[in-house]
Formats: sequence, structure tokens, C-alpha cells
Amino acid sequence: MTDNALVRALDITAGKSTTSVFEALSFEISPGSFTALVGPNGAGKTSLFDTLLGLVALRAGTLTVMGGRPCHARRRIAYVPQVSRLLHDDALVGREFVSAAYQSHRWGMPLPSGRRQQLQAVDAALETVDARDLARRRLSTLSGGQRQRLLIAQALVNEPRLILLDEPLSQLDPAARDRIVSVANALTRRGIAVIFSTHDINPVLPVCDQVLYLAGGRGRAGSVDEIICDRTLSELYGTPMRVIIEGGRRFVFEGSQRRLQAVGQC
Amino acid sequence: MLMPGFLRYDFMQNAFIATTLIALMGSLVGYFVVLRRQAFGSHALSNIGFAGAAGASLIGAEPMLGLLVFVLGAALLMAWTGRHVGERDISVGMILMFSLGLGALFVNLYSANANAAIGILFGSVFGIDASQIRWITITSLVVLAGLVALFRPLRFASLNPDAARARGIPVSLIDTLFLLLLGAASAIAVPVIGALLSFAIFIGPASAAQAWSGRVGMGLALTALLALGEAMGGLILSYYANLPASSCIAGLSFGIYALSRLTRVASRRCVAG
Repeated sequence: MTDNALVRALDITAGKSTTSVFEALSFEISPGSFTALVGPNGAGKTSLFDTLLGLVALRAGTLTVMGGRPCHARRRIAYVPQVSRLLHDDALVGREFVSAAYQSHRWGMPLPSGRRQQLQAVDAALETVDARDLARRRLSTLSGGQRQRLLIAQALVNEPRLILLDEPLSQLDPAARDRIVSVANALTRRGIAVIFSTHDINPVLPVCDQVLYLAGGRGRAGSVDEIICDRTLSELYGTPMRVIIEGGRRFVFEGSQRRLQAVGQC
Repeated sequence: MLMPGFLRYDFMQNAFIATTLIALMGSLVGYFVVLRRQAFGSHALSNIGFAGAAGASLIGAEPMLGLLVFVLGAALLMAWTGRHVGERDISVGMILMFSLGLGALFVNLYSANANAAIGILFGSVFGIDASQIRWITITSLVVLAGLVALFRPLRFASLNPDAARARGIPVSLIDTLFLLLLGAASAIAVPVIGALLSFAIFIGPASAAQAWSGRVGMGLALTALLALGEAMGGLILSYYANLPASSCIAGLSFGIYALSRLTRVASRRCVAG
């Protein structure tokens, strides 16, 4: 166990009163680390984010976030939703969208005296995600990947120590995907820890420090080799699973060797 | 004293004070309504007031009181039903439909005063007395102060509700408070500009401003200026052309909105070409 972990989860169980989304999950998040949160749809990736933010109560286990209870650390965590969850963003230009997050938990209007600091924070955030060119463009004219970068910039203006990225690669083409992964990786070099949820591990394989895999109401954390292997995935899914490594990429199949040959074509 | 001829009359002075305040308050609330895509809710709230006023007349109470009770009640109901925009559209429509049915019933039962009902539907700018001016002033100040107080969390929660909730911003509370502000603004505006025409002040200037500026500060300033221009222009036009004031304001609001759409389309063509 490291002493300075941002998040320490020990045997945590979350879910509604009768059904649990995941059970007895243990993991740690260190500053500046890149964690891939992987699992099929409905495996509880978003529920895990809600748990880290203290929006959902734990049913069992202990969870420490930045040395305290999750809800006390919210201001130091930024949650980045999927682009498709944004409904009314298209009226504004990039810079205004990003700066809307600045000190947004405070009541009232921003004072003119804080204007310089706000400009600097927004500029720095746009710079970090390489989106200076989007500052004056309306969101309605931007692609999914460009909007995703602005969403990450919005999360950065309040200087978080941990960023939760919810399926940032969904609905993006491969080039846009690579760009988002490299932006997320750049955050870790600034000491920000990243939890990156995705249903496909391959785009983040080159940059991820650990994998948190959720499936079948269970979850396991560890290195890529420890988690994306036949034994661990078979345990998680509760059914025989096969992992094929091909050209540095990992492909997960359901079933035994013999059935694999039938589905291996795809 | 140098004063335009039309300001010699008390009723004209009252009309100018009332429309100035309502244009400022209504259009600035309207900016957030447009940003949040709640225009349908805003339209519904104004029209629900009609049923409240008609019902209050029927039982011999102050119409303004009935209007306020109905509009604020409907605002709370809207906040409570459906969080997602799609769901909300349907529940807003159902609440609107039911209250218009009630309004028709009340007018039918109280047929002695159908003119009052028409007054609420289309407004009577030139029939405003001093006590109404007092209420309009108080409500405008309260609504504007409420908007200033909510500004930062409201702006963020309107653009990115999931991230706002994660940050610990009470998004549902902000939604409800905003709808109450919108309800209060609608209730006070309805007797002046009319339930059916409140779109002219609440939505028209804000959507034109958002077509012309993608910045919040500039957008708010433009919204207030356009709303003031349309309201004042409508009153003056109505005085000299002897046309209903509400029609003039509605006409100007529509004209400016159409212009903003046309210039947006033209500028997109420029970029594309």
C-alpha cells in the first residue's frame, strides 16, 4: 500500500437495496496514474464514479478519497460526462463553455476583480487539451472529439487532482480516439490521476498503469497482464473466457478453445 | 419640460414604466430559458396563469392572486415531474392542456366578465394602475436579484448538469428555484403583455441575442437591449399608429428574431463558401 493514494477502496459494495452493482471491490488510485475502467455496458462503471463522488452510498466496505469521506473531496474531483449527455451546449463558443465551470459552486456573479485569474485558468485549460483554436468557435459547429476536448478543459479549470472520464471514446473515429487518449495521458504528466472508462481496452493499452475490470457484479484491479487474461476474466464473468494477444492488442472472447475457433474470425 | 407628447398622460407613463421593468426582467430570465431549452415550459407557465386569474374572478378573489398561485404551483409541478427534457415536454404539455381546460370552464361559468379573460390572454398595457406598478417593481427586483444569486451554479448546471451534480451543486434545487423565478416573472408579466404574447418578451430577444453572440455576458447585454428596444418601440408605434400595444411588441419581436435567423444563415453560408 502506498501512503499517498488519492483513493483507497477496500471491499466496497454498491447498489440499490436488493441488487448490488459490484461486490467486494478493492483498488487504489495514486496521483498521476492512469486507470482504465473496463467492462461491458451495465457493469457498473458509472455507478463506480457515483460512488467515488459520494453520490451513491456504500452498502459495505470502506472508501477513502483524498484522506476523507468521498463527498468531502468532490471539489477536487472532476467528472466528465459523455458528450451525448449534453443537451444544450450549442449556443455558446468554446471559451464560454469552458469558463462556465470556473468556481461554479459559488453563488452570485463573478466579481470583476477575479476576471484575470479566470482568464488564466481557462487559457491554461484550453492549452492543456490543445484546444486554443476552439475558443472562439460555437459548439454547434464542432465534432464529437472537439467537444470532448472542451469537456475535459471544462473539468480542468477548477484544478482537480482526479478526473473521471465517462466513456470518452464512444462515438469517436480512431483518429479522434487517439487524440483523446493522448490528452488524458498528458493530464497524468501534470500529476492529475485519470480514471478512464471504456468498453474497449485497446486504445488505452499503451498508456494505462492499471486496469479496473467490472463484470458480472464483480470487479478486479491490477496490471493489464494480471486482469486481461483467461483466468481473471473467467472468474469475473463466471464462464470460460479467452484472451488473444495479437499485434499488441488484446481480444476477449467468450467460451472454450474449441468455440473460439468458431468466433475467432471476427 | 421637453417630453415626447405621448408621455403627457399618466396611463402612458405607467405603461412605459411597466414595460421597461418587465422587458428587463422577462428577457434576462428568458436568456436562461433559451439556454436551457425550456421555451415550451415558459410558454406554458404564462398560459396557466390565465386559468388562475379566471378561477380567482369566479370565486370573487383578486385575479392577480389566482394567477400567482396557479403559475407558482405549475412551476413546482414541472420541476417535480420528469428530469429529462423529453419527458418534461410531455408533462408540461399535459399540465398546460389541463389548466387551459380549467380556464375555459371558469370563463364559461363566469360569463359576465369575458373581457377580463381576453385582457389576460392578450394583455392591457394601457390599463395599468399605480398599485400594479408597485407590484411589478417589487417582483422585478426580486427576480433579478434571484438571477444574480443563482448566476454561476445556474449557468454551469444549464450547460453540464452531470458535471455540476458531481461537483456537489444542488442541481434539482437550482432547477426548481429557476422555474419559480420564471413563474413569478410570467405571473407579473401576463396582465401587461398577455399570456399568449409573453413569448415576445421572454423568448424573442434572448434567442436573437444567442444567434448573434456565443458569449454569456454579451448575450445578456444584447438580450436586455433588444427587449427594451422592442418594448419601447412597440409602445410608441402603438400610440402613433393606434394599434394594440401587444401586437406591436409581438411584431417587433418576431421581426428581430427573423432577422437574427437570416443573418445566422447568411454568415454560415459565408463560412461554408
